[in-house]
Amino acid sequence: MASETRGATDVLSRARTWLGTFDGSLIGLCVASVAVAFVAGLLQVSFGAYSMTILEAWQAVFDPKVLFSVQAWQSFFFGTELPELPKRTLIVWNIRMPRVIVAVLAGMCLAVSGAIFQAVTRNELASPFILGVSSGAGLTVLLTLVLFSSLAPFLPLFAAIGGSIAFLLVYMIAWKGGTSPVRLVLAGVIVNMVFTSLQRGLFFFADDLGVVQSALAWITGSLTGVGWEEFRIAVIPTLAATLLALAGARQLNLLLLGEETANSLGMSVERVRFMLSAVAILAASTAISVAGIIGFFGLVVPHIVRLIVGSDYRRLLIGCVFVGPALMVVADVGARLALNPAQVPVGVVTGVVGGPYFLYLMRRQEQMGEI
Amino acid sequence: MSQDNSNSDGIATANDTAAGPQSGRRDRPLVGDDVVLSYSGTDEPVIDGESITAEPGAVTALVGPNGSGKSTLLKGLANQLEPEAGSVLLDGQDIQTMGTKAIARKLGLLSQESTSPNSISVEDLVYHGRYPHRGFFDSVTEEDEAAVERAIDLAGCGHLREREVGSLSGGQKQLAWIAMVLAQDTDVLLLDEPTTFLDLHHQLEVMEIIETLRDESDITIVVVLHDIEQAARLADRMVALKDGEIQARGRPEDVVTEQLLAEVFEIEAEVSATAQGPRVNPIRARHDGDEHAAGDDSAEPDRAEEIVAE
Repeated sequence: MASETRGATDVLSRARTWLGTFDGSLIGLCVASVAVAFVAGLLQVSFGAYSMTILEAWQAVFDPKVLFSVQAWQSFFFGTELPELPKRTLIVWNIRMPRVIVAVLAGMCLAVSGAIFQAVTRNELASPFILGVSSGAGLTVLLTLVLFSSLAPFLPLFAAIGGSIAFLLVYMIAWKGGTSPVRLVLAGVIVNMVFTSLQRGLFFFADDLGVVQSALAWITGSLTGVGWEEFRIAVIPTLAATLLALAGARQLNLLLLGEETANSLGMSVERVRFMLSAVAILAASTAISVAGIIGFFGLVVPHIVRLIVGSDYRRLLIGCVFVGPALMVVADVGARLALNPAQVPVGVVTGVVGGPYFLYLMRRQEQMGEI
Repeated sequence: MSQDNSNSDGIATANDTAAGPQSGRRDRPLVGDDVVLSYSGTDEPVIDGESITAEPGAVTALVGPNGSGKSTLLKGLANQLEPEAGSVLLDGQDIQTMGTKAIARKLGLLSQESTSPNSISVEDLVYHGRYPHRGFFDSVTEEDEAAVERAIDLAGCGHLREREVGSLSGGQKQLAWIAMVLAQDTDVLLLDEPTTFLDLHHQLEVMEIIETLRDESDITIVVVLHDIEQAARLADRMVALKDGEIQARGRPEDVVTEQLLAEVFEIEAEVSATAQGPRVNPIRARHDGDEHAAGDDSAEPDRAEEIVAE
């Protein structure tokens, strides 16, 4: 009798664990993220300097003149001429909608990037921001904007180069027969400090105030004024980085078992780390090239997802792909509408919210650092 | 991927191959030839030119006091530490010339301290053992599943498979890790102090797993053990190290002698032969200049025991 009931509860608990840890929480998270992104996106397209009602906004969003117009989609994706559109539709589709979509891409990139960096360094505190990638990419972006403005279409490439250089510097500084979480963070602080100073220095070479202001927006991380062009810049690298990250999920999982174990299981640890870091840098640079340096995002989002779905990177990355965009769209709604009519850069919002979260993590965990 | 399938099936084809261990390279599954090992940042090599041959299909135990270099030697054999000189031969092939995955298909290593995320399930952990058998985009095959089942079964952690590793006791964790290495399905298995820090129950359980592997398969096992009595009971051959030098090797009853315990472990002990191999009754720790201390052997047996069991 006793063994029978135990068998039954065993099956039950197995089913529950399977549902609970494998599908339930992740699906719930994804559905919730989509819903949040949708609502926030709707708010974003409905409100603004040109006011319209929610119903009008809806009508504009589902305007068949756009949805079924090849010419319109061509214009969005390839930058060709836009067809004639009613004013509301034009505002929604040409000004507000691309901002939401770019926020989605940037959020995805930063979340995925942070998640990868956290596994590669086996450090919960790792993020593109802390590891210097953001400031390095930011520096090259600024250099391009201020000194070589004709090269603007290659921004993601330059951002990636700058990000890579900074990351390598951080790694070199932190390396001492291996790295430790604390040394990585300290090295990141050093490199960030130098690169941020260089960024500030660049301001003095700017010709006019407009450039300074847009440069400032870059450094703080802003989605103000992004349009379909930014979407076109970011969409392919975002998809590539995300797919590569998902493909590498098993490698990331193995890295979490530590260098020695990964090694003894036949992984070329240094090579895998290097390639996955490249993916993370690509993702971070993509976000930075269209939205500037949005702080704390890449650190915080993987944490939130990890708390909900656990540390399995297949689940974690899928979670990041959904939660990142949702939170970025929400943060941008806050940035654009909270102090209406004034707009603040979205990086201010993520910093203000992310900072205290970081503090909370620090207080909560005794052993900070290792995943 | 499929090269040497006939040889790398370890557990599965145990019984057919056990019949003819003399066939070809099987003779010398793992050989360290005059290896010199040192850690970066230190001048003196830890192991300065030692040779060791793992007995095919048997259990070889490395014993020695703290800092004697037994774990270092194991790391060298496992290709975790590149030898400065000499070579390690796996199935007759220089391990340095082999790809990391090819090595991992033939040689498994259980490190002394393994870390994992707390929320990973035991089953997922064991599946990581299949890493060297899978390509980058390969999904789980039936062969993987079978190997994982076998490993979990062998390690006796079937009841833990859905549990999170973070929620397990030290002993249960060790069983999970052993299952992971077994899932790797290798001909050679290296274990670095698999029983240290475990309670007696789990120590015995780990020893039973190793015994099962020896009796029912032809896996070649090299194990570092702290407890010399345990090593004597478990091993077919023992290798005793001190200060990075191999002091003695051979069958347990030949290696575990009062003289060796005095020289290598610096303890005074009585050794008595039993059916389960030599029994060690530690009496006291020897200090430099203690040449004729046999007289007061009743002194502080507890302390000596602590040192041995440490």
